Amino acid sequence: MKLFEYQAKDAFRQCGIPVPAGVLAGSIDEVSTALDEFTMPCVVKSQVLHGGRGKAGLVRVVDNADAAREYARSLFEERGVRRVLLEGAVEFENELYLAITVDAAAAKATILACAEGGVDIEELAATAPEKIVTQMVDLDRGLSGFHMRNIAFGLGLTGDRIKAFNKVLSALYQAFRKFDAELIEINPLFMTKEGTFIAGDGKLSIDDNSIARQPGYEITRDHFDHEIEYEAALAGIPYLQFDGDISLMCAGAGLTTTVFDLINYAGGSVANYLEFGGPNYTRAVDAMELCLKNEQAKVILIVTFGTVARADVIAKGLADAVAKFKPSIPIVTCIRGTNEEEAFQILRDLGLTPLSETEEAVQQAVDIAAGRIS
Amino acid sequence: MSIFIDQSNKVVVQGMTGKEGSYWTKHMQDMGTNVVFGSTPGKEGQQVEGIPVYHTIRRGLRDHDVDTAMLFVPPAYTKDAIFEALDAGIRKIVTIADGIPLHELLQIRSAAKSCGAMVVGGNTSGVISPGKAMMGVLPYWIERVYKPGRIGVMTRSGSLTNEVTAEVVKAGFGVSTLMGVGGDSVPLTRFAEILPLYQADPDTDAVVIIGELGGTMEEEVAQAMESGAFTKPLVAFIGGRTAPKGKRMGHAGAIVTGSKGTVEAKVEALTSAGGRVAKKPSMLGPVLRELIT
Repeated sequence: MKLFEYQAKDAFRQCGIPVPAGVLAGSIDEVSTALDEFTMPCVVKSQVLHGGRGKAGLVRVVDNADAAREYARSLFEERGVRRVLLEGAVEFENELYLAITVDAAAAKATILACAEGGVDIEELAATAPEKIVTQMVDLDRGLSGFHMRNIAFGLGLTGDRIKAFNKVLSALYQAFRKFDAELIEINPLFMTKEGTFIAGDGKLSIDDNSIARQPGYEITRDHFDHEIEYEAALAGIPYLQFDGDISLMCAGAGLTTTVFDLINYAGGSVANYLEFGGPNYTRAVDAMELCLKNEQAKVILIVTFGTVARADVIAKGLADAVAKFKPSIPIVTCIRGTNEEEAFQILRDLGLTPLSETEEAVQQAVDIAAGRIS
Repeated sequence: MSIFIDQSNKVVVQGMTGKEGSYWTKHMQDMGTNVVFGSTPGKEGQQVEGIPVYHTIRRGLRDHDVDTAMLFVPPAYTKDAIFEALDAGIRKIVTIADGIPLHELLQIRSAAKSCGAMVVGGNTSGVISPGKAMMGVLPYWIERVYKPGRIGVMTRSGSLTNEVTAEVVKAGFGVSTLMGVGGDSVPLTRFAEILPLYQADPDTDAVVIIGELGGTMEEEVAQAMESGAFTKPLVAFIGGRTAPKGKRMGHAGAIVTGSKGTVEAKVEALTSAGGRVAKKPSMLGPVLRELIT
């Protein structure tokens, strides 16, 4: 789960990483109240999860309260932003980049640092990899002095700045561990003339499998591009909204992704990706309810090939869903795996023609969506 | 021959008394797997399918020998259970747990590497050598998917495995050993670490890999082929070619950022290393037939 900047900065604060004074505001009135406490210039920052806010015009430095209010108003009213973070502007001598992520192959944490911050690090890694200092850390051994020396000297820091930097790095590593992060990033990390460090921006992404032990982070509507995606997430069903007209209900991430590809190859387009495999395979009723909310859908395509996700249970759930919602759009099924004979019978009783080849089912769905068959 | 497991392995099932544990213990036995004892804290003295259960592996080891562990343990307790198995000297471990915390995956993999163990999973349906032995939750009774044969299969996805393996069987082949590495962003064993086992297996003629977008496992396979460490015919199917950028589709690993981890990059790496890539699952069989005559 990606956190908003204000949440990341809260986490930073808890672990002792210096951040600028800031106030979160959800309306123009709150902005006005907050501005009374600010010395200008300040920064108005949209709290959205998309990267590249600067380029998208969602962050601006302003030098008076009127400009701040006017800009915040445009964000709320024209850009659909729900919250802004007001922060005091920081005078800096230099901007650095500092992040910790995970190296899956090495099974270690990886620290990435660069003396030129404020940059697109992927771009820099591609064009000037020598500018990025990396250091792997074994989680069981933890962050050692030599790790920090490798980075600080690698960045060209000298004197007291090394000590100040190490404090930030060590706090960042602590936050990485504490919050089960898959990525924690400060970009830019401001270095002031006095040699102190302040986190200008903050990214923190908590591993989804660790959310249960990180209380206080609920998913919100702002985490999703689309209303149905949010509803599905609350129901615990993976769902993505697209522009096409074939609604997918598939069991298993790999198979669902492959069916997505096969539809595109066959000239069709996907209305939504929906996975009801794993522990969700008994929830055909909930899954179909979500699919039917998607008004673009012209056909529902169901493809499964499961073991634990038994074919007969899926087919029975589908029968319940059809009885409950009486969908007006056609349904194409390719439900195979454990107890598929029973499943086929249930589907025939529903008046459906069960298919057993994925690509045949995909072609049929594409033809129905295109109006070639009904 | 088979890789990783056959009838000679002595298996402990951790979490054997649970619903999944007891159900699949029976299936593993039916397949030929030699399950020696089970462990569930608090359940010593019980039996599952006639197999004794102990509180801990250590207590079971007073009466039995084991060299392999199969876990039916929830994700939150998986690290502890794997460390218990490693501590008991077990060097082959399979865990099906889906949802092991990321930092714990790193710790497990790191610990396994440092003691020379192979831990397969998480979020996998397991490992099978059809007709010989099985560890996991695999529908070996569906013959059109798990027919014994001479093709090795490595996969990141359970559901797609059945789909793809059915195509292999339809083309007239069967499976020597199928290894599910799982769909986590940090697989505890990676494709490239299994390849040497297939290379050395006289009963595996070719390897099929079922990959997906995200991560670098397919690229590591390409490197092993380029370096000459793997020389048998290899065909891959990689799902997610048309996935839109920035959307997280399915497995944790399946997220695309920039050019890293795209299906195009994987196809390019495997093809230039001499492998073949089937665009659709139905093309896998014909490509295999071309390679093995």
